[in-house]
Amino acid sequence: MSTQRFKRRGLLSAGLIIGLISFGSCSSDSGSPTTVGSGDSSAAKPRIALIMKSLANEFFSTMAEGAEAHQSAHANQYDLVVNGIKDERDLSRQVALVEEMVASGVDAIVIAPADSKALVPALRRAKAAGIVVVNIDNQLDQDVLKQENVTIPFVGPDNLAGARKVGDFLGNELEGSDRKVAVLEGIRTSFNAQQRLKGFEASMAEAGIEIVDSQSAEWEMSKANTIASSMLSEHPEISAILAANDSMALGAIAAVKSAGLSDKVKIVGFDNITAIQAAIKEGKVLATADQHGDQLAVFGIEVALNELAGEAAGDDIETPVDLVTKQTLSAK
Amino acid sequence: MESRKDHAGFVLRVRFVKQSKWLQIGIQYGGLIAVLALLIAVFSACSKNFLQPATLLTIANQIPDLTFLAVGMTLVLIVGGIDLSVGSLLALSSAILGVLMANYGWPIWAAFGIAMLVAGLCGTINGAISVGWGIPSFIVTLGMLEIARGATKVVTSSQSVYIGSQVEWFGQPIASLRLSPAFLIAVLAVIVGQFVLTRTVFGRYCVAIGTNKEAVRMSGIRATPYAIAVFAISGLMCGMAGLAQTSRLSTADPNGAVGIELAAIAACVIGGTSLMGGRGSVVSSFIGVLIIQVLQTGLAQIGVSDANKQIITGSVIVLAVLLDALRNRLSHRS
Amino acid sequence: MTAPPLLQTKSLTKRYGSVNVLSDVTMHARDGEIHALVGANGAGKSTLCKIISGLVPASGGTMKFDGNDYRPENKQSSESVGIQIVQQELNLIGTLSVAENLFLTRLPNRGGVLRGRDLHHQARAVLDRFGLTAIETHTAVESLGVGHQQMVEIATALARDCRLLILDEPTAALTGRESQQLFEHLRRLRDEGVGIIYISHRLDEVASLSDRITILRDGRFVETRDTASMTTDEMIALMSGEEAAGQIAEHQTYRRDEIAMRVRQITSGFVNDVSFDVRRGERFGITGLIGSGRTELLRAIFGADVATAGEVELTDVKDGQLFSHPADAVAAGLAMVTEDRKQNGLLLSQSIITNTTLCSLRPQFSRGGLLRIGDEERIASSMVTNLETHCEHIDQSVGTLSGGNQQKIAIAKWLVHDAEVFLFDEPTRGIDVAARRRIYRLIESLAKNDKACVIVSSDLEELLETCDAIAVMCDGKMVETFQRDKWSREKIMQASFSGYVS
Repeated sequence: MSTQRFKRRGLLSAGLIIGLISFGSCSSDSGSPTTVGSGDSSAAKPRIALIMKSLANEFFSTMAEGAEAHQSAHANQYDLVVNGIKDERDLSRQVALVEEMVASGVDAIVIAPADSKALVPALRRAKAAGIVVVNIDNQLDQDVLKQENVTIPFVGPDNLAGARKVGDFLGNELEGSDRKVAVLEGIRTSFNAQQRLKGFEASMAEAGIEIVDSQSAEWEMSKANTIASSMLSEHPEISAILAANDSMALGAIAAVKSAGLSDKVKIVGFDNITAIQAAIKEGKVLATADQHGDQLAVFGIEVALNELAGEAAGDDIETPVDLVTKQTLSAK
Repeated sequence: MESRKDHAGFVLRVRFVKQSKWLQIGIQYGGLIAVLALLIAVFSACSKNFLQPATLLTIANQIPDLTFLAVGMTLVLIVGGIDLSVGSLLALSSAILGVLMANYGWPIWAAFGIAMLVAGLCGTINGAISVGWGIPSFIVTLGMLEIARGATKVVTSSQSVYIGSQVEWFGQPIASLRLSPAFLIAVLAVIVGQFVLTRTVFGRYCVAIGTNKEAVRMSGIRATPYAIAVFAISGLMCGMAGLAQTSRLSTADPNGAVGIELAAIAACVIGGTSLMGGRGSVVSSFIGVLIIQVLQTGLAQIGVSDANKQIITGSVIVLAVLLDALRNRLSHRS
Repeated sequence: MTAPPLLQTKSLTKRYGSVNVLSDVTMHARDGEIHALVGANGAGKSTLCKIISGLVPASGGTMKFDGNDYRPENKQSSESVGIQIVQQELNLIGTLSVAENLFLTRLPNRGGVLRGRDLHHQARAVLDRFGLTAIETHTAVESLGVGHQQMVEIATALARDCRLLILDEPTAALTGRESQQLFEHLRRLRDEGVGIIYISHRLDEVASLSDRITILRDGRFVETRDTASMTTDEMIALMSGEEAAGQIAEHQTYRRDEIAMRVRQITSGFVNDVSFDVRRGERFGITGLIGSGRTELLRAIFGADVATAGEVELTDVKDGQLFSHPADAVAAGLAMVTEDRKQNGLLLSQSIITNTTLCSLRPQFSRGGLLRIGDEERIASSMVTNLETHCEHIDQSVGTLSGGNQQKIAIAKWLVHDAEVFLFDEPTRGIDVAARRRIYRLIESLAKNDKACVIVSSDLEELLETCDAIAVMCDGKMVETFQRDKWSREKIMQASFSGYVS
């Protein structure tokens, strides 16, 4: 009797597996409108794989949405497969994604690399397999590219210049002679983090402001909160915190508030995410930089399409980075 | 009286006939292989690119690191422990390998030797503290997770270290076979692991220790060295996994392999290894690894949205374990 | 017979897969009687009781309780009609206190907050009523000895109101005095009208305690008779299906003069300055009340606990020493069959093969660290055949065997390994008559082969039957040693209590 009951339960769970998987594949059909599943991928219509970092990060999900919107507007021109990784650090998985996309026979890969060095060999192999590769967002390491003897066009903002814009704006706002600031860095292995740090350092040096503390909060809000709090208790004299992205800036706001220094310590960020705009309007954050994330992937896809259409691989394309402050927001 | 004895003896002999080997193998691996086949069938139906040599070979060349970890983890789980430090130890050995090769120009074998030494040593420390002092391995290896990750960042100065082609060959397919040396060695590790588990005194003692440590002691066996050795082996497997991952990425990544310990544990448990110790199979854990990787690759090829990917992966893990539990009960009943 | 019997079963059947463990059992139990249920291990006694108390569902058949249809779905539903069961395995939660265990399902509380004083007050009353004045209600159960745990378990069931009480081997771990207390209590309950189903291997107990006896054999009902109309020999005959041969053979000693093991002034925890010699071929019994330090003594000799003083000298090893790990003791030629085979004797979830060869893997079943599986299978099969172990096949896990067969495996592993001195701690606890006989024969054949055997047992009859000499432990000391021609039950009992009188 009970044996039968177990058999029935076994069938039930097997059914559940199938159900779930088909649910998965169905939802993918509706979720990202054009995928491999659409069957009609004729030779004339290329398939492009967009490989992102963490789609849980607003910056990248905006980027992906921009790309999907662009694809549905140009559905007759190409198909799109979008994949991301669990978190920014999972670069092993991102390399695996590149290999999987190569195996599944896409025509082009547009990638925002999680690491500026580690992805190069995998992308070199993709190019060797005849696939068009375009680098967006985070620029691949020039030395490694040279070493691997491969050229990959980069489409993206100049993070160093963007960070300088933010840093210069802050430098003008800070008054007095003995000015000290602290920096919240991104993950140190990331090229963007390095570029933004360089930009901040350059502006501070020019304005004659001392950086008394600089630590990595690994792009994360809660970690930034912890680190900013300890910075404030260690260096109560600092008058500003420069965060390498907006999430960390938001973490710093809370730290400044709980230290009771809201009036004294100014904060700047980078990326212009939705949440930061409210903070800027309220004056809690002084400025951020907008690198027009929603258009970034689209630029990359357009470069890939041009190359697929037979044009020679182009040079690097710099996309604009704009300073966002209370004034620019109210001007809109 | 005499005849009764004969009769009893006859009955006993007939009853001792063992189940046929193939039937045993069928019962042991049937459920897992069914799950794997089901996944492959579903993905093949969804994407015509899935059931292609290119995709399957890609999968094969992606799994060595997780496979090495799962081999070590299976043994650790069997003796009734758990090793949470494998991800960090992988990153540490990868970092040592990378820094010695890229910054100091060491040849790969020497750098790899040092990396294995350090990983094995860390594993031994895990074992010595948890087994020798009777502290739960959960907490000891959790400590090692943090320590090794920190050490990794010290060694690399938190920079990823690009090594290049000196290390790449190990993780890239050999042209004629289309399979990488890393994969072949990982499969070898599975075979050796299964052999050690089922065919050696060491393996038998591991199962016995995980089943009932006190009974082993009262049988006049010193269990401690064996249990410590298991943790050391897990450490060495991290070293191997470190080499596999480094060669696949051509880069030592100090932030790499975060959370991979959970994937390794999941693979073992999908394979029917008991978290309570005393039961497990290296081959089954390997099938568990395949299930996880097939799922990952398949979902990426269909381009399922990230959120759904996680939901499906989690569900399949739970269902695979559930199916295995049901299979167990059924085979107990019949 | 105007009123219906308290419990009536009709054609009860239980199948596991294709195996019938209980087939077509029809019997009844009345209120106000002690109804003994006897049979060899595997006869289906425990299964029958588990069905009655709702722990396992029947595969077929019906039951009536108090004249009404009765179909328990779980333990709660059997308890709700007034059926309580005390199982062979202890069901206590070790880390909780005695009082909490007693009232686990109905802890006195106010709005979810425990009322500790009420709890301990009520627990005290229950324990006192049962004569357990020595047990503290605050003590954690795991810190009690097995015997006391068993008493607490029984007290737990008795503390609830019940109409039918089922006891499965309740005296296995109890001393004679504790058993007597229990029997008095059971008779009192019977006189109050409670029906009692009592399972025991101790036929003398059954004969003196019960009113009627039902005999099961191989899962089938054999007969129910008034106790007064049956002798224990007849019971054995019905249980085994054959006339009992004169089972108690004439005792023959194999003792030689050569000393096999010399134990000198062992002091370990509770054990205080114990010395004795065992000769080759000798069967040396150790008895005493529960808590007199018998098990602790064996553990100290074997190196399972580290003794604080004393030494153990084996003939092959010249100097006396204290073993700090059982591995040392085994290397010196000792073997120990432990009291609690589930806790530290066997690997329950592992196969018969694995358990049989565990002690001797290195020397006998491996070459260069590789197992010789063929040899293992051969030896395990022959052990199973020799010891008449009942099993399906040698890959079967030991946990699925009955208690007696488990014990045979626990002994077999030491027979395979071989030793000069065998320590047996309660070698026949909770196993049936046939298996018990087999184990006595086994110990005898060890003695015949010049091995020394030390046997600790609560069952005095067992020692009287098998041993050449019996030493009595009392309060951690070895108070007296009796030789076979000079002992008597009275003298041994007196020695056992010597530390507690005056």
